[in-house]
Order: sequence, then structure tokens, then C-alpha cells
Amino acid sequence: MQAGKKRKLKTIVVVIIVIFISIFALLPFFEMVIMGTYQTDQLYTGVKLLPGNYLKQNLQNIMQHEFFRFYVNSFIVAITNTLCGMAISTMAGYAFAKYQFKGQNLLFLIVISALAIPPQLGLVGFVIEMRSLGWANSLLPLIVNGIANPFGVFWMRQYITSSVPNELLESGRIDGCGEFRILTRLVVPIIKPALITIFLIFFLWSWNDYMVPLVITTNQKYYTIPISISLLSTEFKNDDAARILCLTLSTIPILGMFSIGSKYLIQGLVAGSVKG
Amino acid sequence: MRRKSVPYLMILPYFLAFLAFNIFPVVFSFFISFTNWNGISATKEFVGIANYIRALTKDSFFFLSLKNTILLTILIIPGQILMGLLMACLLKDFFRKTRGAFQLINFLPYLTTTVALAIIFQLMFDWKNGIVNGLLSQMGIESIYWLGKAGPTRIVVTLMEIWRNYGYAMIMFMAGLSTISDDLYDAAKIDGANWFQQFFRITVPMLRPIFAFTVTTGMIGVLNLFDGPQLLFSGTNQPMGGPGRSVFTIMIRFYEASFLNFEFGYGSAIAYLFFIFVSIVSALLVKAFGERE
Repeated sequence: MQAGKKRKLKTIVVVIIVIFISIFALLPFFEMVIMGTYQTDQLYTGVKLLPGNYLKQNLQNIMQHEFFRFYVNSFIVAITNTLCGMAISTMAGYAFAKYQFKGQNLLFLIVISALAIPPQLGLVGFVIEMRSLGWANSLLPLIVNGIANPFGVFWMRQYITSSVPNELLESGRIDGCGEFRILTRLVVPIIKPALITIFLIFFLWSWNDYMVPLVITTNQKYYTIPISISLLSTEFKNDDAARILCLTLSTIPILGMFSIGSKYLIQGLVAGSVKG
Repeated sequence: MRRKSVPYLMILPYFLAFLAFNIFPVVFSFFISFTNWNGISATKEFVGIANYIRALTKDSFFFLSLKNTILLTILIIPGQILMGLLMACLLKDFFRKTRGAFQLINFLPYLTTTVALAIIFQLMFDWKNGIVNGLLSQMGIESIYWLGKAGPTRIVVTLMEIWRNYGYAMIMFMAGLSTISDDLYDAAKIDGANWFQQFFRITVPMLRPIFAFTVTTGMIGVLNLFDGPQLLFSGTNQPMGGPGRSVFTIMIRFYEASFLNFEFGYGSAIAYLFFIFVSIVSALLVKAFGERE
């Protein structure tokens, strides 16, 4: 009896600790959502816990500041970058997993060693390269940035090696399928979980990228959301509520995707993230 | 004959993109680091290792940034790892059913763009109107000028980075915990070991590879720290890197030299010195974690 009581007490203490920490994890988000529904003047008159009634007006203010365009830019960049990166990683990962070819080990070693190169090492060179190509005044630098992702190749190779049976490929060959057709028709359906993982991770990195767009994008027309919120802060200088609503809106796609695919994303991160 | 070329065709896009957008910029930056190019003028002068010598002997800001970055690493990493480990263990042992929801909540900060985090922290730690000072004054504690003094600024950045990243460490530790067999704990319980003994004798040793991974990636992340401390003071009248340049990191120095002062040659030299520094740190960490086994 005594032991049972003690255990119950311990459980209660632990539950309180976990809930306490989780409240702190959530508080800034909660405040972000709530503050976006107030008028800026009301924001600093004490702590707000319930939503205000200024949401519609704030939304209208944002729309006047071309926020929609930055949203579209961010989507174009993140989606194209992610899909290209996925296709490149999948093809290379599949080749390394299911073929034997000359120089295979050396080439894979090159892929792996690239994991050790920090992204900023070539940043100056990348900026000049983009300018000389005449791409600086477009979304292209952000789209091609990081599409050769060593982590993607590594992850796809691991996954395909362990989950795609060789018999399947052989049966495809007997049926007269071409090699690329085997990949798109037979292999892709099997490796869907890995593709979802890669999609979520690449999308997250691209959507939240700050430093590369900051140093490359000079034309306001091509700003992505993170850059627009930080650099255009002067436009909203006196309208904190509108700024905060922008933040809330910019977080929604990521939150939506993550709640749907959290299982896959966590799987992917656990497989060995290379971020940072 | 045709089939032999297939794997090469499949890896071709990767290596083309890799050469064009990874290797070329890295090699080009290396070349630029030996020049005094400003990125605009048509001529660039070869200056040998002058940029490297300048960073290592004359640039007091470079050393300040190195010092700040190391200090922040020491402040952030233990908190981040311990918070992640604590949450992972508690969730595993006490929240079998609602684990998914708590995992999601504690992982949210990692998913959010730093721009949002920095602006929210800016508002929360505002001297006059922030929620933090509001709570302090309700408890009868005098308001702190959080983002106006060197010491408190470091605390804010530390809290922000721990808050942003502990969820990631938590996920890693949860994955590690799930690989530890229940038999070990059952045997320990039969021997009369309490929760703390089980934690230090079974959990911690079994999680060594996860510690190695989270400490290494966490440290590389903090050494690369840029957007948080840079954004926290954007739109304020503080200098880059905050009051007294107390959170002026190596990456901020790199950004300032390359893209604000247009010293492309010098900025590239800083990037290469930093790369060497990070490589040494990573090698030492790998050695430290490897040797104990």
C-alpha cells in the first residue's frame, strides 16, 4: 500500500514537470497567435490570454504590403527545390544501392565526405557565381541551393538497400521494363515513406532558410517570407500586430505538414540529420 | 552494353549539381581568400596569405567573435542536452499513451523559422512592455534590461537556443531509448535498483552513441550560430551582435566582413579558418567519444 501511494505521488510530480515544460514550449507560439488578433496599441496593456477582435483588420493591413507575393515566392522556392532535390537524391541513392559499377565506392565516398562541408564555406563563391550567371535577380539561386544533398543520397541508399527486394527488379526486367521504368513504376511505390521523409526535411530547410536569401536576394520582388519579415520590418515598424500575424501565417504550412507526417519526419531526423 | 551506362546516368544529375553549386563555390571561395577582391571591381589583386594573417593577428573582432561563440557553446550545449534527455526519459516512463502529443509540442520550436522566434523573444524580453518583466514585477522583482546589457543578452540568446533545439535532442534520445531492451530494466528492478540507479547504470551508458551524436551536431550548430543573435537586434539601435557585441558570433563576423563591408577576400579567409576550427573540434569530439569505449 505504502509503495503504491509513493509511486502515485511520483507520477503526479513527473506529470506536473512535463506539463510545466510543455507550457513553456508552447507559450511563445500561443502568444504569437493571440497577439496577431489585437490592435498594436492594445498589445502592451498587459498579458493577453484570449484572442482579440482585430484579426480581419490586421489581415487587410498585411495584404497591402505584398505579403501574398512573398508567400508565393517561398512556396515556389521550397516546392521546386524540394522536388528537384528529391528526384536527384532518389536516382543517385537507387544507383548506389542496386547497381554494381566501376568507381562506385570512390564516388560514394565523395558523396559522404561532402557531409563535412559547412554550407557557409562556399557562400561567397556561390553569390559571385549566381551574379555572373545573371541569376541573382530571380528565384533561381534559392532553387538550386542545396539540391545536391549528400544526406538525401545517403538516406535513400540506406532505405532502398533494406526495403527493395532484388527479385522485384529482376521480375521487372523479365517483363521487359526499361531500367528507368523499373525505378518509377516498381521502386517508387515501395519507398514512399522515405520519399515523404525527404520531402518534409528538404521543405523545412528550404522554407526556413535565412542566410542564403539574405545575402543573395537584393530585389524586393524575390524576397521569401523570412527575409520579408526581417528586412521589411520598417514598413510594419508601428504595426507589431501585423508583423506577428505574418509570423503566424508563415508557420502554418510547416505545422500542417508536420502534424500529418510527423512520424516520417522524426524517422528521417533520427536516421542522421546533417543540419548545422 | 546499354545497361552498364544506366547507373552512371542516374548519378549524373547529383554530381553535375554537386560540381556546379557545391564544389565550384567552395574552390572559388578558396581562391578569393587569397585576394583583396570586393566582389564588384573588375580587378582583383593577389595578396597571398595576408587575409589569414590579418584574421589571426590584427582583427580583434574576429577574436571577440571566437570567444563569444565558444562561451555560448558552453552555455547552450549542456542545457540543450539535459533538457532533451530529461523530457525523453520522462515521456518514455510516464506518458505511454499521450507521448505523441507531448513529443509534437516540444518539437514545435525546432520547426519554426528563426525570424519568428527572434521577434517573439524580442517582444517577450522587451524592457518596458515585455511579458517577462511583467511577470518579474508582479513577483516584486525589479525589471531587467534584458536586451540592453551584455550579461542578460547572453542569457536571452542561451534560453532561445536551448528552447529552439531541445526538442530535437529529445527526439534523438527517444529513438535511442526505444532500442534499450526492457529486460535490462526488469533485471535491475529485481535486484532492487531504484529509478535513479537504473537511470545512471543502464540508461546513460546505453545512450552513449546518442550523446556522441547530439553533442557533436549540437556543437556544430552552435558554432554556426548566426540568425538568432543577428535577428534579435535587427530593427533596434544596438550594434551587430547586441550590446557590447556580447553575442557577436563568428558567423556574424563572416557575414559582416563579406556582405556588409564587401571584403569578399577577407570574408572567405574567415570562412576557411572557421572550417579548420570546426574540423578540429569535430575530430576531437569523435576521438573523445570513441576512446571511452
